[in-house]
Amino acid sequence: MSEYWRDIINFLSSEKLWAITRAVIVVILGLVIAKLASSGLSSIAGKKIDSHRAMVLKRGSYYLILILFVVTALHQLGFNLSVLLGAAGIFSVAIGFASQTSASNLISGLFLVAERPFTVGDVIRVGSTTGEVLSIDPLSVKLRTFDNLFVRIPNESLIKSEVTTLSRFPIRRADLLMGVAYKEDLKKVRAILEEIADKNPLCLEEPKPRYIFQGFGNSSLDIQFSVWAKRENFLDLKNSIYEEIKTAFDEQDIEIPFPHLSLYTGSVTEPFPIQKTADKSSNSS
Amino acid sequence: MATEFDKPPHWWGSFTPPHAQSLQWRIGPLTLIVRCLDGEWQIGHQRTSNFDNDDGSWEFQRCDQLPETLDTHSRYIFSQLVKQLTLTPRLADRPIISRPRVPFNLTAGETVTLYISSPLWIELALATSPTTLLEEIAIQRPSDTWFGPSTLEGELCYASATHCRINLAELPQRVHRAITPVLIRNQADTTLTVERINLPSALLSLYACSEGQLWTPKVTLIRGRDGDMAELKIDDKAPKQTTSPTLLSEPRDTANAGVLIRAFNAVFS
Repeated sequence: MSEYWRDIINFLSSEKLWAITRAVIVVILGLVIAKLASSGLSSIAGKKIDSHRAMVLKRGSYYLILILFVVTALHQLGFNLSVLLGAAGIFSVAIGFASQTSASNLISGLFLVAERPFTVGDVIRVGSTTGEVLSIDPLSVKLRTFDNLFVRIPNESLIKSEVTTLSRFPIRRADLLMGVAYKEDLKKVRAILEEIADKNPLCLEEPKPRYIFQGFGNSSLDIQFSVWAKRENFLDLKNSIYEEIKTAFDEQDIEIPFPHLSLYTGSVTEPFPIQKTADKSSNSS
Repeated sequence: MATEFDKPPHWWGSFTPPHAQSLQWRIGPLTLIVRCLDGEWQIGHQRTSNFDNDDGSWEFQRCDQLPETLDTHSRYIFSQLVKQLTLTPRLADRPIISRPRVPFNLTAGETVTLYISSPLWIELALATSPTTLLEEIAIQRPSDTWFGPSTLEGELCYASATHCRINLAELPQRVHRAITPVLIRNQADTTLTVERINLPSALLSLYACSEGQLWTPKVTLIRGRDGDMAELKIDDKAPKQTTSPTLLSEPRDTANAGVLIRAFNAVFS
């Protein structure tokens, strides 16, 4: 029993305990300083940068400061840091090989944050998926599609593929495609379209609506009429202006044709023979 | 069933509708209907596209029921109902881009005063302290437009076609639009062609003169000698053309009042 007490007293009076105490104090101090410094840094920078970057800055500074203090604590405990760093290098190569995809996504995530093609709340289109960005995380971007589905897109695919940010600019152009019959007067059609655009309050006056004659289609004269709208009014404008065009064309007797198919009998001049058949009552009798 | 009764001198001001009856205004293309029931206010409006824009008249009447064909109809529920409603004319919250029907030229050193009319909104608020804003309704919804050098740079505004009259006597008296005297001075050596003018509506206050016409303070636009910059100055009082003016509403944005120096293409185009 006395030997046990002696060991304890020896340990308490040894350098080792003092080193452990110092290491623990350094780690606790590191935790406090890292917390305070990262919060302060993010609140100062948060006024100038967006919330996502502020979060990355906060986490990054927290872990960097904490790692420095942990390394100092290990040094206090007598660890040889060069050996430790060498081991960490080998370890990270091994981890790198084992988790290539994750590492690639992680690096892509850093590029996404730096390049900032979109932020949280933007509406983006990636391939056939369109949705609102919920979060930009180290490995993936989370979207909420308009039919309320949660979509996770790996950062690597975002870096590699074409991403369209629909909510970047305050105004958008709607390209209205339509066809009118060959018999119609295009000048009249153009005047009607311009009047409709002029009267619709959602249609921007500037940039001016653009009328483009697309060519002679199979069944119709193809027209593109491009109008501009405030981004938030884009769908409302598209819906309302198509309705107004249909109503105006109906009122002005402008035909919107459906695909036509002409049948010939071999000789253009010869009409199809018409055969008069007997009515049902005479057949049954 | 509608009945004419005690038409007030102006369409704005404070009103207390009789219980379960509606008050109805026709101001320009807008028909506005309000009704006060037990614990709730009901507000409805509709606009017509067939109206004479130069018609300065307005109508006021009392009806027993709300019409069924309203564009919008909203209800506001209160535990303690205030039965007095205040109607205040307001200017647009975005700049108004006034486009003269025919662009005009101002040679070097010339000065001109134009009279530009702007669309108005009606602010409906309950007469509490401070007032309880219910909604704002545009009397005549102007078209949106973009004002800037490109589709990347610029700002969203409202568009308004104007005659840019220079003779005050030719100006139609309309209660659904406010008139701004705009003095343009061309101090540059080259001719100024004015196709569009950016009128900062949010910085303008609104006055009513004794005849019922609404006015804003005078706006002075000076094209600088180098031609690239324009000075924009807004008076802090009613224009001299008004008789016994009454302040109806303060500017929406008071932060940027005073003399402003802007790029030439941010004011004219």
